[in-house]
Amino acid sequence: MALEQELETYRANLPRLLENEGKFVLIHGDAVIDVYGTYEDALKEGYHRFRLEPFLVKQIQSVEAVHFISRHLTPCHTSPAK
Amino acid sequence: MPYFTRQVAPNGLIINAYIGVSEARRDALVAAQQAVPNPIQILGLIDTGASHTCVDPSVLNQLGLTPTGTVQVATPSTGTQPVMHDQYDTSLIIFAGQGHPPLVHLTIPVTKSELLTIQGFHALIGRDILSGCLLTYDGVNGFFSLAY
Repeated sequence: MALEQELETYRANLPRLLENEGKFVLIHGDAVIDVYGTYEDALKEGYHRFRLEPFLVKQIQSVEAVHFISRHLTPCHTSPAK
Repeated sequence: MPYFTRQVAPNGLIINAYIGVSEARRDALVAAQQAVPNPIQILGLIDTGASHTCVDPSVLNQLGLTPTGTVQVATPSTGTQPVMHDQYDTSLIIFAGQGHPPLVHLTIPVTKSELLTIQGFHALIGRDILSGCLLTYDGVNGFFSLAY
């Protein structure tokens, strides 16, 4: 699964990240790099630091928002949601 | 306010758009001396039932993208339990026609979803894009307009 390690890092650090709820965190492997005010800023820093290596940009949320799609789609899911 | 008007197609509110790599990824590709893929022309369905924009894997694969995010997605197929989908950073341009500037998003996250291109489109244009637009649906005359 893509970004599995980064997701684990996000979950492990979520309690302390929640002081910045709503902002965007940049994670590379098991390292939390920083928190940014916008998705664009976090993404830009991710590409600047890690070039084309995998990294995760995720909005910090105590309860993860669900995206809704009213059509039947063949899922390209990576794992069951937790 | 720029706008365009199109006929309602048999499969819905279909528009032409271009999807490419995000601005930040483009800069990273240039820095790595790798080729920047040309934006890909797609057909998108404006879908007010989609909270976010979704793109078929065939398009994302052509752009050589790797995921930079994950989101939980609920569809009629997922039942009560949402599933985690990969998210990709892209750019999106919708051309309005002569005399109007295009609608441009230099960075927009999209979700990868099999959209079954036999339905006649490659992307669902969701409410994340529509949040900056005025959509008018004229069912009587079979037209729709998008202003932005």
